[in-house]
Amino acid sequence: MRILIVEDDAETRAFVAQGLGQAGHQVATSLDGRDGLFQATGGEFEAIVVDRMLPGLDGLALVKALRAAGDTTPVLMLTAVGGIADRVEGLENGADDYLVKPFAFSELAARLNALARRPAPRNEPHQLKVADIVLDLDRRSVERGGQRVHLQPREFALLAELMRNPRRVMTRTMLLERVWDFDFDPKTNIVETHLSRLRSKLNAGFDEDAIETVRGAGYMIRGE
Amino acid sequence: MLRRLWRSTFGVVALVAIGFAAATLAIGAIAYIVTHEALEKQLDHRVSVETDALLQEVKEGGIASVAESIRLREATRTTSSLDYLLVDKAGRSIAATVTPLVPVRAGYEEFFRFRRDGYTGIGQSLTTALPGGMLVVIADRRDLKEIDRTLEILFAGALGAMLALGVGAAALIGWLTRRRLARIDATAKAIIAGDLAQRVARDGSESEFDQLAATLNQMLDRMAALMDNLRQVSSDVAHDLRTPLTRLCNQLERASTGQDDDERVDAIHAARDQANELLEIFAALLRIAEVEGLAERRALAPVDLSALLDEMVDTYRPDFEAADRRLVAAISTGLQVRGDRRLLAQAVSNLLENALRHTPAGTTATLSASGSGEAIDVELADDGPGVPSHEADRLFQRFARAEASRTTAGHGLGLALVRAVAVGHGGDAILSRSTGGFAVSLRLTRSH
Repeated sequence: MRILIVEDDAETRAFVAQGLGQAGHQVATSLDGRDGLFQATGGEFEAIVVDRMLPGLDGLALVKALRAAGDTTPVLMLTAVGGIADRVEGLENGADDYLVKPFAFSELAARLNALARRPAPRNEPHQLKVADIVLDLDRRSVERGGQRVHLQPREFALLAELMRNPRRVMTRTMLLERVWDFDFDPKTNIVETHLSRLRSKLNAGFDEDAIETVRGAGYMIRGE
Repeated sequence: MLRRLWRSTFGVVALVAIGFAAATLAIGAIAYIVTHEALEKQLDHRVSVETDALLQEVKEGGIASVAESIRLREATRTTSSLDYLLVDKAGRSIAATVTPLVPVRAGYEEFFRFRRDGYTGIGQSLTTALPGGMLVVIADRRDLKEIDRTLEILFAGALGAMLALGVGAAALIGWLTRRRLARIDATAKAIIAGDLAQRVARDGSESEFDQLAATLNQMLDRMAALMDNLRQVSSDVAHDLRTPLTRLCNQLERASTGQDDDERVDAIHAARDQANELLEIFAALLRIAEVEGLAERRALAPVDLSALLDEMVDTYRPDFEAADRRLVAAISTGLQVRGDRRLLAQAVSNLLENALRHTPAGTTATLSASGSGEAIDVELADDGPGVPSHEADRLFQRFARAEASRTTAGHGLGLALVRAVAVGHGGDAILSRSTGGFAVSLRLTRSH
């Protein structure tokens, strides 16, 4: 994937660029907003990582300008902690996702992966199918291998989120945001607890685990 | 210059006084003109009545009779009597009380100059042609002029007094205002200089200045309280971060002197966890600060509180069960508030996590929510051991941790955030029970 990083802090830039490079991505970097916008409009990037605070042109203005020019390249915005309002502002101005510093590299990688191949969110299907699991969003029912699986509402939402992103790692924070709408990190294991319940219900009577735990990163539904 | 004058109390009062003086001047001028005209008319009237009487005599006795009348009137003359002049066709005087200084023409004359006993006067005259000459009846304008003068002096005096009074009042009011403000000014300067305990002196009069002083003092008290709080928070932060930082140092020390790779990796991981914990503390502190500044910054949206609380119970019940505790819900339906859904979720989540972490196994926690009138009360109560009463008061402060929970995880920031969220939503968070269990209530306001 070709990824542009617009970040003025040298250490964060190096940390992100190195990590993404090692993961096999082609990385371009920029130190300020104006140059970042110039590179973003010129190069064919598949994803852009932008810091919220930048010299020259700040991250918000950059995304706004990019969107105004009709560019739909997915943008992941980075921000310092303590920005409840920043998050909303960022998304309103056209950013696709948001990550609070400091972050683990695996979190950034998972989010970029999810962003870059995000399907058009417009026409949500009525049914999700991954491998032998069928999830009906209208009837709120789940079957695995033709057998009905009974899930609690949170477990259902959790499975639906995993199935919307087949073969992509979903981190704990991503699940908290998307399933629970939490923008904070609870100190308890609510994700783990719900996942283990979901897993035991899904796997009952099957040999193969439907959900894969990716160590140090998150969870992923197993595809074909 | 004028603009600046207008802004001072002296200037305002002075300008008002000048305005009043101008009004006085205008009224005076009008009164003067009206009076003057009325008096002139009166003189004209006297002249015309007298002329009519004399003309009657001409008809009855001819010019000689008139001349006789004029002489008679002159003999019984008083100061306000009219003057007369009777001339024949050639302009020679037949009978006269005055000597004309202007040519005699028929009709009214407003300024008829004449001479009499060495005095030159001006009068209003009516000259009528007679069969054998001309008759002039003259009213002296001396009285009119005197009344005019009296009026002029009167109004000039009034105007002068008005101006003097106005400027005097302006100076006095300006001086009084400055003197009263000087007290406030002196206090403010003392505070700027660093004496934060200074307050504006009050005179107890409940005047506007006294009320201003009271309001300023309230403001200063509030700011002092906030500054105290800030001081307390920063010293708390410094104090409470020392422990994890010391641990971090020790772990790094251990990593640098480790005997083998395993030990070093171990120590580095421990150090990383410690650093993460520090970051978490900072995140929680920043979050609280952010929420505290929330009320004025953020537009709040309607939140279905009942649904949110149901979801929270669903979310946390498995964790409670896994930890051998019970979570019971008693949530009224249809509770709605205006607020930030995620923040409310975080506040409730903090309460639930406290109940999970600081209670013994077998504890039952009850999340209840009910509304009465406009008030909504959300309470999380448990039947655990509670906290000692001397610790109960400060539980909502940052870094406040009950002695018994020193050994469990946590930074003592959870309840501080709960209160900040409640206050940010126009409500409050209180400790509703601390013995025979522990209960915290969120007081919120219903929206429709």
